[in-house]
Amino acid sequence: MYRIERDRARFREIVRGKLRQDLRKYLSTSELLGRRGDKAVSIPVPQIELPRFHFGENKKTGVGQGPGQKGEPVDGDGEKANGEGGAGEDEGQHILEVDVELAELAEMLGQELELPKIEPRGDRALMADGGRYTGVRSAGPQSLRHFRRTFKNALRRTIAAGEWDPLNPQVVPIADDERFRAKKSCPQPDSSAVIFHVMDVSGSMGREQKDIVRIKAFWIDTWLRSQYKNLEVVYIVHDAVAKVVDQDSFFHLRESGGTKISSAYELVLQLIQDKYRPEDWNIYPFHYSDGDNWSARDTERCVHLLRDEVLPRVNQFCYGQVKSAYGSGQFKKDLDSALDGDERLVTANINDREGIADAIRQFLGKGR
Amino acid sequence: MSVHQRKSLTPYLRGQAERLEKIARSYGLEFFDVVFEMLDAKDVNAVAAYGGFPVRYPSWRFGMDYERLDKGHQWGLSKIYELVINNDPTYAYLVKTNSDMEQKLVMAHVFGHADFFKNNVWFQPTDRHMLDRMADTGTRVRRMIDERGQDRVETFLDLALSLDNLVDPFLPLREHMKHRANAERATVLAQRSSSLDEVCAQPTRRTHALPTFDILGFIADRAALEPWQRDLVKTVREEAYYFMPQRMTKIMNEGWASFWHSRILTGGALDPGEIVDFADCHSGATAAGAGQLNPYKLGIEIFRTAEERGLDIFRLRRVHNDASLLDEIVDEEFARANALFVYGKNSRTGRTEVTERDWHVVKERLLLDLAWGGLPRIELVDEDFDHRGELLLQHHHDGRDLQFAHASETLKNLVNLWGSPVNLLTQEEGAPRRLMHNGREFTSVELPVTVAVKPVEAV
Repeated sequence: MYRIERDRARFREIVRGKLRQDLRKYLSTSELLGRRGDKAVSIPVPQIELPRFHFGENKKTGVGQGPGQKGEPVDGDGEKANGEGGAGEDEGQHILEVDVELAELAEMLGQELELPKIEPRGDRALMADGGRYTGVRSAGPQSLRHFRRTFKNALRRTIAAGEWDPLNPQVVPIADDERFRAKKSCPQPDSSAVIFHVMDVSGSMGREQKDIVRIKAFWIDTWLRSQYKNLEVVYIVHDAVAKVVDQDSFFHLRESGGTKISSAYELVLQLIQDKYRPEDWNIYPFHYSDGDNWSARDTERCVHLLRDEVLPRVNQFCYGQVKSAYGSGQFKKDLDSALDGDERLVTANINDREGIADAIRQFLGKGR
Repeated sequence: MSVHQRKSLTPYLRGQAERLEKIARSYGLEFFDVVFEMLDAKDVNAVAAYGGFPVRYPSWRFGMDYERLDKGHQWGLSKIYELVINNDPTYAYLVKTNSDMEQKLVMAHVFGHADFFKNNVWFQPTDRHMLDRMADTGTRVRRMIDERGQDRVETFLDLALSLDNLVDPFLPLREHMKHRANAERATVLAQRSSSLDEVCAQPTRRTHALPTFDILGFIADRAALEPWQRDLVKTVREEAYYFMPQRMTKIMNEGWASFWHSRILTGGALDPGEIVDFADCHSGATAAGAGQLNPYKLGIEIFRTAEERGLDIFRLRRVHNDASLLDEIVDEEFARANALFVYGKNSRTGRTEVTERDWHVVKERLLLDLAWGGLPRIELVDEDFDHRGELLLQHHHDGRDLQFAHASETLKNLVNLWGSPVNLLTQEEGAPRRLMHNGREFTSVELPVTVAVKPVEAV
């Protein structure tokens, strides 16, 4: 039914408008996590209601039908039972799920936070074989025959052979005249990227801190996915040692050891060297911690690793420091003072959920 | 006479439709021609989203309803069996995916609805050519959109729709009766050969004597609106009055249709092999769900009880609405037989519990829920409140408070239509209050108890 599809499209447009308005809210809740498919996120939106005069809360009584003595709970209990109180119209709780494509969500994020598009890295031109049918050659399948060129050749040959008769303009191509379209490879900047999400899971990182990390990771993924055709995500957790984990463990694991950040940086470096060579990949490590490293000596080692090994190989290294009750927050200060002025390093403080949006902007606002 | 367009039906179902119609008429049911249309599940959801009128004006709200119905269908949560619209001829939509037995059940059910639409007194004032009228409206609104832009028309339409329950459910029938009386008087006068002009010179413009419940009508006539805006307000009001009787007779209407599909099908219209499937389907539709009131169930029990008591059920279906019929039928025996109770939320445990089984209390509560179409009774009492040109509305409070956030938004929409501030007298948890919106801000003032709000009237 064509008409209803138009109304539905209009409704979705309105929902998108609302979503755009409320994006800040979604930026600080974990509501959207786990709702992401390959191509789209299904976002729960409250049914948009026209305001009307209707009865409110204290109408949560009514007439029902069924067994049970005075004071006994109604079968099926609460929520469901207030449905048909005669003609009751309590439509407040409807939730609709609307699918929004990842690309569109990323676009909204980009607009809201004014994120620049990511520029391909300048010094290393990353090539990919695009390939378009822009060339011409003399052999090929009939389906790719270049009609115009073929007849041009035939005409030229006819005239050269003196067989051209303007009163009877006939041109018959022979096999030698035929030309075909051909694929010409045209190198394009590559669009592969890898994200390292590195999280400190030592005892001082609480539930709230991990939630913040995971919401951030979601949005960063979403943004980078819209910028690169091919995105890989590597999850790393560390306390005193670092290891690669799958997405699920990344979000749920709770360790409780000390903290040796250098272990994580070493692992990242090793992965870059083994698998994600900078010639082929745009590399984005993100590290989240509460900034409480084991020793000043290890911090020194981290700075050294970053400056000499990691930073030269990556597009950008981001360090987000999540505030926690136990963390000293020293690590960010150390990094900032040691690597001051290196624009490949971005550090940000995330005090609470509201800080997520700003931190994302700091991380992605450079368009690197 | 019956020109049934049943092209979309299979020959078998076409035959069954004719047979069922004959049986229905033999039982005394009486209806306009019924036109069955077969749709697939997706299209039936679309028609349902338009409230049964595929020709309706464009609005995002229908798109939203469709989104919900379509998702519900995909996930197997909801399934629409049939749709009937009150029109002459009566249109009924069947769903392709149903079995032949289900189609027969639905068709018999539809004849019940069709009879109800034609004969129930509350439906007498409704426009029987609503399908055409909706199509006209749709064309007009589309033209408006072309001329003035979608955003402008849509925004205004939403304003008007937000007030579509500020109507007087009893007004159309009152007017209808008056006109009929006038018509009779006119005939008498005509026979006395006096001047017809005198009789026909009725004031065409309704004068709005305050107080009135027909607030939307008041706005349509009196607010300073552009012609296209007035047209939209009138349209919204018209549709509100068209749908109101369905709201007021939901239990009866479904009960009547279920009563008859059950009687017709078990009276010989089914093949022996279909009986078990029928029983399954029927008991599913009329099941008393966990603690809920199912209008199909309650309705069918009402008519069965009435029949057992020797009452004329055809008369009952003609003269009543839900509230008045339940008032007549529900008594101690009925309440006990149907295990009716009042529930409420236990604030200590947070559970919904049975709070009362005494039939007086149950009946009182039931009637309260059904009276006035289940809506708050809000009356316009003054158009020049405090000599400031402000409207004064009065909510006739019956123990149920308004939802205040929505009330504030609704008042704001009313201000936008009317052009000056609007006040509403109501109560919150027993304390009288005056809500006011001036278009920019909302205020809520507690009133001294001496300005007592009118006591609840029995409906």
